[in-house]
Amino acid sequence: ASEHGKQSKESGSKTVPSACAICVNKCSLFADVKDGVIHKLNPNHNFFKSRSMLCARGNVGAKVPYSPDRLKKPLIRTGKRGEGKWKEVSWDEAYDYIIENVIKLINKYDNRSSIAFASTEGLQEEFFRHLTSVVGSTNSVRHPTLCLASNIQGYSSVYGTLPDADIANAKFVVMAGSNRAEAFITPDTIDLAKKHKEQTFVYLDPRATKSAALADKWFPIKPGTDMAVVLAMINVIISEELYDKEFVNKYTHGFDQLKEHVKENTPEWAEKESEIPADEIRWMARKFAENAPASVWYPGRRSSFTANDVYYRRACAILNAIVGAWDRKGGLIPKSGISLKSHEFIFPLYDRVKNRIDGGKVNFAADILPEYIKSNKGMPKDEVAYLSEADGSWVLFRDAILKQKPYPVKGMFVYKQNPVESVPNRSKTLEMLKSMEFICTIDIQMSDTAWYSDVVLPESTYLERWDPAHSLGGVAPVVIFRKPVIDPLFDTKSMKDITVDLTERFLKKEEFWVDAWEEDKAYMRDYVKTFKGVPMSHIIEHQLSDYPGAYKMLMEKGCFYKTDKIPYGKTLKEGARLKTKTGKIELASVRYPEAGLHALPVYQKPSEAPQGKYRFVVGRHAQFTQANTQNVPYLLEAYGHYTNMLWIHPKSALKQGLNDGDYAIVKSSVGEQKVKVHVTEYTRPDTVFYLHGFGRLSKWLTNVYKVGASDAEILEDYAETISGNALLHETFVEIKKA
Amino acid sequence: MSENSRALKLAEANQKLAHKRRNAKEKWGIVLDTSKCIDCKACTVACKMENYVPVGFYNYRIWVAEDTHYANYPTISRSFQPSQCQQCENPPCVHVCPTHASYKTADGVVMVDADKCILCKYCMTACPYDARYESHTTEAIDKCTFCYQRREEGRDPACVETCPPKVRVFGDLNDPNSEVYKLLAENEYTVLKPGKGTKPKLKYIK
Repeated sequence: ASEHGKQSKESGSKTVPSACAICVNKCSLFADVKDGVIHKLNPNHNFFKSRSMLCARGNVGAKVPYSPDRLKKPLIRTGKRGEGKWKEVSWDEAYDYIIENVIKLINKYDNRSSIAFASTEGLQEEFFRHLTSVVGSTNSVRHPTLCLASNIQGYSSVYGTLPDADIANAKFVVMAGSNRAEAFITPDTIDLAKKHKEQTFVYLDPRATKSAALADKWFPIKPGTDMAVVLAMINVIISEELYDKEFVNKYTHGFDQLKEHVKENTPEWAEKESEIPADEIRWMARKFAENAPASVWYPGRRSSFTANDVYYRRACAILNAIVGAWDRKGGLIPKSGISLKSHEFIFPLYDRVKNRIDGGKVNFAADILPEYIKSNKGMPKDEVAYLSEADGSWVLFRDAILKQKPYPVKGMFVYKQNPVESVPNRSKTLEMLKSMEFICTIDIQMSDTAWYSDVVLPESTYLERWDPAHSLGGVAPVVIFRKPVIDPLFDTKSMKDITVDLTERFLKKEEFWVDAWEEDKAYMRDYVKTFKGVPMSHIIEHQLSDYPGAYKMLMEKGCFYKTDKIPYGKTLKEGARLKTKTGKIELASVRYPEAGLHALPVYQKPSEAPQGKYRFVVGRHAQFTQANTQNVPYLLEAYGHYTNMLWIHPKSALKQGLNDGDYAIVKSSVGEQKVKVHVTEYTRPDTVFYLHGFGRLSKWLTNVYKVGASDAEILEDYAETISGNALLHETFVEIKKA
Repeated sequence: MSENSRALKLAEANQKLAHKRRNAKEKWGIVLDTSKCIDCKACTVACKMENYVPVGFYNYRIWVAEDTHYANYPTISRSFQPSQCQQCENPPCVHVCPTHASYKTADGVVMVDADKCILCKYCMTACPYDARYESHTTEAIDKCTFCYQRREEGRDPACVETCPPKVRVFGDLNDPNSEVYKLLAENEYTVLKPGKGTKPKLKYIK
């Protein structure tokens, strides 16, 4: 292959159905391919979940396989970590290197869990998780605790699940921090933009983002006080008897406790906390009840705000419940899915395995809490109360590795994730990587984490490979898949192939199996046989075999669904039970007090900014997916600035002696960054912001290497101890002219 | 084949197609409801992909402008206005072109014949909407063609097709059964710079 990849021998035009992979939404698309080159990716009009759209990021996917910054061959580090010296090797050489190191580590530490596995979501992630099981480590860590773990926990404690919102039919929508105009979620973003003339949309955010442009009212809420507003709305709805009495009686548990709990939370009290006028809060509460069940306090995310985030999300869920805006048109709707057949594998049961490093009692768990909340009885101090065994808690996980407690973790596989840029406190992540004896990263580009790795495996892009069928859960579920739009341009493989190849090689190493049972090897030979040389189309046919005609529909229409109608009221039918302890909507939690937590959402006043400092908030932009797409020239051009900038209010800029276009040093307790100043009325005077994903450390991200500022570098690494979610709005910064 | 030669090939194909459609009866136009626009730039990126408009130069066929009506914290009002060549019925760019490179197709689309263009830029000066640019790929002035290459298959222009909230609706302004015709019948609308007398075929719903 040349620098530009293999030249295609195809001629003529073809249209290929597949699905986008630039962000989490996985929108179905049709690729226009001309003479073997991707000309254009177009939206699939059968795919109702995206409302027939393909966003800017989806469109640039057409250029992703041709990026000069792509990883084109396996690489082994030759210089020091992070020095950027690599040699291109064959896949065999890379595999040998990996196998040797994995076996060395397992033997040295007598523990398979001494190797960690970090990954993020995607249709090939399951194969990475298979690799975790083949190696036998318990230490997997995924994206949810950098994202929505607290949200899942909060809503699930009330409803037994994290629901979606029926934005298309809602009449009154409140979004607090969920910047849906810039952080795309299908179909909510599109429905909000389409329907905003017919619905009342109230937007709470310290910044006037592009979502504020759609809003009927924008309130620049004081960060960290969202819960005060929710509690006050509940207070008004209960005290003015605007709640849905029949619904509350029939479907909920703990209303009397709730009523007592919010007694003091008047709009006047909430005004002092949030700086939103009491009359406006009262208006919101009345309108919320009036429009119910077509009312939504949007269950969105932007990670966790502050340390009481799980309680805050509980409060949001409760607000929707008391007006009966649950599982009815225009309210919160439990997600549904289309269940696909899967292969059930039996993975080895090894002896040399230890429990998760961040699981169970962790005596330094309180260290991840911000100081002001440590005395709060509702926050566990010696564990993460609801740690997910599959996902872990990134912040605590990294601390445990650095402390080597209760045991050393010295190897790491990273798939598609980029902890260097996605976990708060970048210096600490680099320190963790430094402590590793072996790091293997699998990606399509040289992420910052890949840059500090020992071996880098290039994955085929989503347009060059088959991916299994996948049900996108939601108010109306739909199945998508991927097939190659073009042949791989370079010497790359899919994660599936990598896992199968490595498993095959482990099978040849006797020393790998000394702590396994004899059957385990047979199971793993079966595993290899399931995938080796078997076309993915056969696997997809098997996945869909419960649904006659589904495979054909998927291949022709690019997606498969049974109906695009929303099935309202499944959980409200006679005899239906929610996945909560009482089977009802738990306004007061039954489980939480058993775990030493509050049964009801207790408000915690956020810490005040120390003198001369500003609260730093994070946020999204419609051109960028986490830290993945900042290096794409078309997106930088569409974004318009080629670097990120510090949003600061004119009054604060004056105080700091800063003018628009100046450079400033932004400094927190963990790091500092230099960034261009953007003086704007679109933010609170006490709050500053700059965009995620700039100021990168990998030289192979040529357009953003050391361009602008990294937020991971300055974000302090707090997390809450109920779900283990990182807290992204607990950092205060000093700002000085550079 | 390089991106440049693909761009040239597309320009040539569109000239041929315009000739082939010389008896076309439609009058293509776009009706926009800009209140839905969230400035996501799906349209501008899709346009660049579809029409081989290179990245990294100050060139574009379509754009999204921001209107800040007032911004005095905490009172903010902002909206977005996507736009492109207005496909004028009375196009000044065509009138001033000394070589007849700029012309209007039978179905009312203003196009540039790259072979005839001498890059004098009179048209760029004449256009009240700043909708034209100098293309280094075709070595001619270039602009929005309503994705003329899609006319044969009857597909919407790339910007229309890809738009998340469907700000733009494309169709035949002559056809009473078309969505654009109905939208104009049911809504008040305006055009950009009506005083210029250009009679744009992009109609903005008020």
